[in-house]
Amino acid sequence: MAVRANYDYDWPSRSAAELYGDDQLVHVWWKGNPFFVSAQTFRFPKAMPFGELVGLCKGFFAADPDFDPDAMDTVQWRIDKVDVTPDLTASLEANGVGHKSLVEFSI
Amino acid sequence: MSVAAEPRPVGVDLQENEENRALVEAIEADNDDLNIRHMPGMIRLTKTGQLVINQASVEARLGRPWETHEFQLAIISYFGEFVEWDDDQIVIAWKH
Amino acid sequence: MTVPAQKPVRKLSMKQRYSALTHDLDWTPTYVTEEEIFPYTTFEGIKVHDWSKWEDPFRLTVEAYNKYQSEKDRRLYAVLDGFAQSQGQLGLTDASYMNAMKIFLQGIPIHEYDAHRNFSYLARYANGPGARFAALCQSMDELRHAQTEIHTLSHYNKYFDGMHDWHKWSDRVWYLSVPKSFFEDAMTAGPFEWLIAIGFSFEYLLTNLLFVPFMSGAAFNGDLPTMTFGFSAQSDESRHMTLGLEAIKFMLEQDEDNLPIVQAWLDKWFWRGYRLISLVAGMMDYMLPKRVMSWKEAFELYFEEQMLNGLFKDLAYYGITPPRHVQWAIDEKEILSHQVYWVLYQYSHAAAFTTTIPNEADQAWLQEAYPETWPVFKEAVWDKAQRVQDAGGRYFNPGLPQLCTVCQIPMGFTEPGDPLTQCQRQSVYEGERYDFCSDGCQWIFDREPTKYRQSWLPVHQIFQGNCGGPTLPDVAAWYGLQPGDGGEYLGSPDHQNWLAWHGQAPKED
Repeated sequence: MAVRANYDYDWPSRSAAELYGDDQLVHVWWKGNPFFVSAQTFRFPKAMPFGELVGLCKGFFAADPDFDPDAMDTVQWRIDKVDVTPDLTASLEANGVGHKSLVEFSI
Repeated sequence: MSVAAEPRPVGVDLQENEENRALVEAIEADNDDLNIRHMPGMIRLTKTGQLVINQASVEARLGRPWETHEFQLAIISYFGEFVEWDDDQIVIAWKH
Repeated sequence: MTVPAQKPVRKLSMKQRYSALTHDLDWTPTYVTEEEIFPYTTFEGIKVHDWSKWEDPFRLTVEAYNKYQSEKDRRLYAVLDGFAQSQGQLGLTDASYMNAMKIFLQGIPIHEYDAHRNFSYLARYANGPGARFAALCQSMDELRHAQTEIHTLSHYNKYFDGMHDWHKWSDRVWYLSVPKSFFEDAMTAGPFEWLIAIGFSFEYLLTNLLFVPFMSGAAFNGDLPTMTFGFSAQSDESRHMTLGLEAIKFMLEQDEDNLPIVQAWLDKWFWRGYRLISLVAGMMDYMLPKRVMSWKEAFELYFEEQMLNGLFKDLAYYGITPPRHVQWAIDEKEILSHQVYWVLYQYSHAAAFTTTIPNEADQAWLQEAYPETWPVFKEAVWDKAQRVQDAGGRYFNPGLPQLCTVCQIPMGFTEPGDPLTQCQRQSVYEGERYDFCSDGCQWIFDREPTKYRQSWLPVHQIFQGNCGGPTLPDVAAWYGLQPGDGGEYLGSPDHQNWLAWHGQAPKED
């Protein structure tokens, strides 16, 4: 429904894609590991290769003392709740990762 | 003034201090089956149906003039509705 | 024959006095239309036929209001003086207790002031004199609350960190966008929605879940000023509860067409208010050295028993049903506090309070209060955090969390029945994705997407460069945080000072 107002109510999003230029927000979710209390939000270039995201994750999730970085090489990735096999050399954008997409894995 | 056909709990939380002793005693005297529970700094009075605070009853026990407006200094919270608040009486109940 | 002296009989009864000094001072305008004087009370679609039906059982006049409010203030300030003079802060159960009051100071007084402003607006723009006067009293009450809260807690600012810049933090810091967005949401709605959002949902339905934990927590932990403030404010709150209940009943009684609008607002604001006070759940179960009751117990008593089984049976008469997502809240009562404190624990390096792993006594209490869910969380997260600490470290999340677009809390809430899987909900509106922590928040967005896409989400704003810079030190500087304000409690200045004041050497690790 439209917001009830006594004037023409129309205001833009405060987190629209245009506000991030060539970058975008990406939520990375280690599903099933509550040590990271929620998914993590990053700002990545749209052109960043997916393989670089994986590399960054290996560093990031080492905050969990039980984390084995090698396990990330064989996870099943999901992008926006759909199983995918990403092309590690292709960009996030080419792999279907859009602004505020959810990139998910479990170990 | 109508009150709920199916009686349910109503209640009031009061500051537990010296001044409110007379108030609590009056409420206890004027309400059958009143439930009293002490919690830190406060006293919870509950009963089923309706809770009545009578000005004359409080004043008689307090030993000085007391108007029903003064009840505001004692109250912390309540559940139910103030179905009546007049010079002589305050009544808490559910209307439906 | 002499007649014994009687106390003077007032010329008018309470009812008559109230009428003479409120309703009867009103008049029907003749040279402008009612719509011109009161331009804001029709656009929401609420129909009112007779404003004179607005009832106020308290029947206050300005004279009575001033008399009793002055007395409350006199009593409160006497206690504050006595506490300060007697160095009362040394009698707290522990310095770590102050973290609960830091959250209170940062998250509440500024919004009491918001409520003061909005009730002031209602005191002018509500058509009926009964409603206007009740709003005027509440406006003055809320200003009183803002001021007395600040005064009450200012004493502790002399001795503890995390209090010095509460005003700036209220405006800028990530977890404080939760209460800020809540109040701004209500303030930017119309007058009737405000009355249901704040007057009814917040001040009646949920108020005890906010105040009793803090105030009883204060009583149990040696915090006399806060306890005294709390009881003092609560007597005002009973008038606020009455105004809220009157507001909803007035709308429902004025026209049947108001029912679906009121129900939708109730559904929305129950959920928004419930998510807001989840911060209280985390506080009462994890931040009080001496606990009063668990969140679960408080929710069962103050919401399920008093509201669902008491109030909603009354409102059923009008066709009102319990809030749309209430079952989710009931299902969450076993896990809510664990999830919230876990958020706070791993992000307190960027906050103005400290956190720590629950100690042995804390864990024993948690086990008893939550026999089903505490063991799950202990194993999944706290034992691991303990291992990190035992190895000489301290787990802080190295990044930024995904935030819910509506409640703005990190999305650490989980699927019903699955406490280890975070809930992920998404909506797409005009080509842009939005994220939510729950069905409740998603429903709120989907109803009014053009409102909630304007959310000022702290994480997104940091990434846009609007919060001082890209690094944590940049953001902390922009927040105005100083060393000692946040992070780990053990070994913090608050902790070390506490030990020194009590003549104890700090523990060796």
